[in-house]
Amino acid sequence: MALHTYRIAREPYYCPAGDEIALFEAAHADRLPVMLKGPTGCGKTRFVEHMAWRLGRPLVTVACNEDLTASDLVGRYLLEAEGTVWQDGPLTLAVRHGAICYLDEIVEARADTTVVIHPLADDRRALPLDKRNELVTAHPDFQLVIAYNPGYQSVAKDLKESTKQRFAALEFGYPAAAVEAEIVAHEAGIEPEVARRVVAVAERSRNLRGRGLEEGASTRMLIHAGRLIARGVAPEAACRMAIVLPLTDDSDLRDALAAAVGACF
Amino acid sequence: MDGVDGLIALADVERRLRAYGTALWGVDPPLRPLVGEGDPAALRPCFDADLVRLPAVWPSLALYRAALAHVGAHRMFSRPLPAKGLKPLLTIVVSLVEDARVEHLAMRRLPGLRRLWAPFHRVEPSPSLMAADLLERLARALFDAGYRDGNAWVDKGQRLFFERPERWENPNFSLALGGDLAGDLGKTRVQINARGHRVDPAYRDDNGGLWLYDTPPEPPRDADDPLEAVRPEPMEGEGNRRNGPPQALPAPAPLAAAAETTALRPVARYPEWDHRIGLHRPGFVQVVECEPEHQPPMDVPADHRLAGRVRALIRHAVVARPERLRRQREGDALDLDACIAATAARRHGHAPDMRVYRRVRRRGRDLSVLLLLDASHSTKDPVGDGTVLDLERRSADLLAGALAAAGDRFALAAFRSDGREAVHWLPVKRFAEHYDAAARGRLAGLDGRWSTRMGAAIRHAGTTLAAQPTLRRLLLLVTDGEPSDIDCPDPRHLVEDARKAVRELAGRGIDVVCVALGGDARTHHRIFGRRNVLPVDRVERLPEILPTVYVRLTG
Repeated sequence: MALHTYRIAREPYYCPAGDEIALFEAAHADRLPVMLKGPTGCGKTRFVEHMAWRLGRPLVTVACNEDLTASDLVGRYLLEAEGTVWQDGPLTLAVRHGAICYLDEIVEARADTTVVIHPLADDRRALPLDKRNELVTAHPDFQLVIAYNPGYQSVAKDLKESTKQRFAALEFGYPAAAVEAEIVAHEAGIEPEVARRVVAVAERSRNLRGRGLEEGASTRMLIHAGRLIARGVAPEAACRMAIVLPLTDDSDLRDALAAAVGACF
Repeated sequence: MDGVDGLIALADVERRLRAYGTALWGVDPPLRPLVGEGDPAALRPCFDADLVRLPAVWPSLALYRAALAHVGAHRMFSRPLPAKGLKPLLTIVVSLVEDARVEHLAMRRLPGLRRLWAPFHRVEPSPSLMAADLLERLARALFDAGYRDGNAWVDKGQRLFFERPERWENPNFSLALGGDLAGDLGKTRVQINARGHRVDPAYRDDNGGLWLYDTPPEPPRDADDPLEAVRPEPMEGEGNRRNGPPQALPAPAPLAAAAETTALRPVARYPEWDHRIGLHRPGFVQVVECEPEHQPPMDVPADHRLAGRVRALIRHAVVARPERLRRQREGDALDLDACIAATAARRHGHAPDMRVYRRVRRRGRDLSVLLLLDASHSTKDPVGDGTVLDLERRSADLLAGALAAAGDRFALAAFRSDGREAVHWLPVKRFAEHYDAAARGRLAGLDGRWSTRMGAAIRHAGTTLAAQPTLRRLLLLVTDGEPSDIDCPDPRHLVEDARKAVRELAGRGIDVVCVALGGDARTHHRIFGRRNVLPVDRVERLPEILPTVYVRLTG
């Protein structure tokens, strides 16, 4: 079928931090559009993948960027030898055939792009394709999920009120230390004790949030550090490579953070 | 990093030390330099509930780090004990046990701290029975479970300390064990010079922060004035201050009036609009420039988060955002939609539009902004824990710091009036100047007086802005009231004049936007036009709102 390649075959690992799975299932049962908020690398995308697998739905993911136009989402006419042919965009694909459509970093997209999803995110559940003069009614399985990081939020890049108010929201944060250590140990394949140390490094960097760092180390960064450790890199060097250096260019902060990493091992 | 004599200065490493301390413990107490006579290596840090004092110069960065980590452990795990009635020997031994206790608790969380502290525990077993030697060896024995001393007292302390590590959690453990050990030491009649006692190893603090004294112990000699002690994180543009001499408090102004007149300088005359006759009265108002008094730049407890957010906001707005140009004659990539349209047109037999490329262009910011603050008497009204003017100043400082960091062209001034011959223009930062300590001093020196003859101020702002070579010019006026002056009984007169002035500026391509902190909304709408008034309903939120307004207007 059209969405065959979008099915998730194996269970993506996800360690729940609260009741988010039950809440999402409830929202999905009614096909309510859901918005996932949270800092980068805290597991939003993984959560959606896990839920798509759990609910047995195909998942169409679109990473939004500044250049993403409405046609990139809904589709466009392409040229063929005989003339033009319509090509559905990822959103239209999901709407037609019934998938979870996940728009990542939605605020990055241009304002005209976000408006496209409005009729899908209310009780109309339809997608007008003005170029084709077609109204695509959403498949009963279609669900819209968007994610954004309120940390970047600025006036220029905020969701419109009219967009926000169409969604139910789940808030994500970095998991509690014990849970995060479990995730790092699982994903990176390192000993739980080492994972706990790596998480301690993350806490150090998160202490500096707003005091020089825009954001502390994400769970994703910790997993990267953990993978380096699993490859035999010394923990301090791994944390320096995967956490300290990517986080900041400020030499004082880097120095302080490196010293704090030293305190963790 | 090493300076002369192998010493490094706190001022040079303060920023990274603070970041280190914050990273370890999540709190950021202000660091103050500690100055003393003699060998700096003999100085010991001290701390209390509010700040941490570290020697102004010290042998190494590692020593500073070790000291900060140790003090952080105290702040995390120690509870100050009442010192009343305790013998000096007892407090010394209890403090020593407490030092070891908090370090072990800290090392449970952050095992790497052992490597930081261990190099300073260098004392070796010796037959010496001097109290200072015994104490230093006990310090090592309690830090390092593998250390073997041989002295019965030290060994007893070590054995009891490591016997039941789960008791470390209990803050009273130090008092119990320390009391026991101090009793033993007292019985041996070892002489101890409690006053001259110096804690070893060097990274440990003088333990003053562990005890609650009825009368404070000798006040530590401080490098600068107490006002400085509550200084929050240095603001942008303040970077050089700490290296220079501390800002002297200004000599009390002899007589405000006398000081004022010397600084007054007529700079311009402007017409005033008389709405009754529908004509300008030429040269009716005189603007005098007066340098605001210098005050030490204000050190409000800045909200780090807010300051960071504002900086990010402004930076985001200032860094020219890319602009996509579609349907271009030449460019970096094909514009797919245009290509398809062109090909379709050709197949239909029409002439295709060959502008089929797209490219990305960085849009430069061609903008000058003048932030004009109302400094009339009414800005002295109290709001929260300060006045309206305090909030104006704080907001302006926050915004200006971020603008300076981001490199936008801006100027900062204030105005007030005392009749038509004396509309005061108080320049804080001109376009050509840097937003430095002097400008911050002038900002801090603004005070609220007299009235609000807005029209003349707007015209003068217009003259200043008109000289700027940028395409867009913006006057951002922050006011808490409506135009008024002592020589104008007709309230409508100055409103109409201000309205006229705004229109004159608009005619010269200068946008005027009013941030209204109060007053009659209708009057503001009349003067600036409905679209150009941004009412701030809660004045306390001005520091958050002003930068947002700026970004919205200029982004």
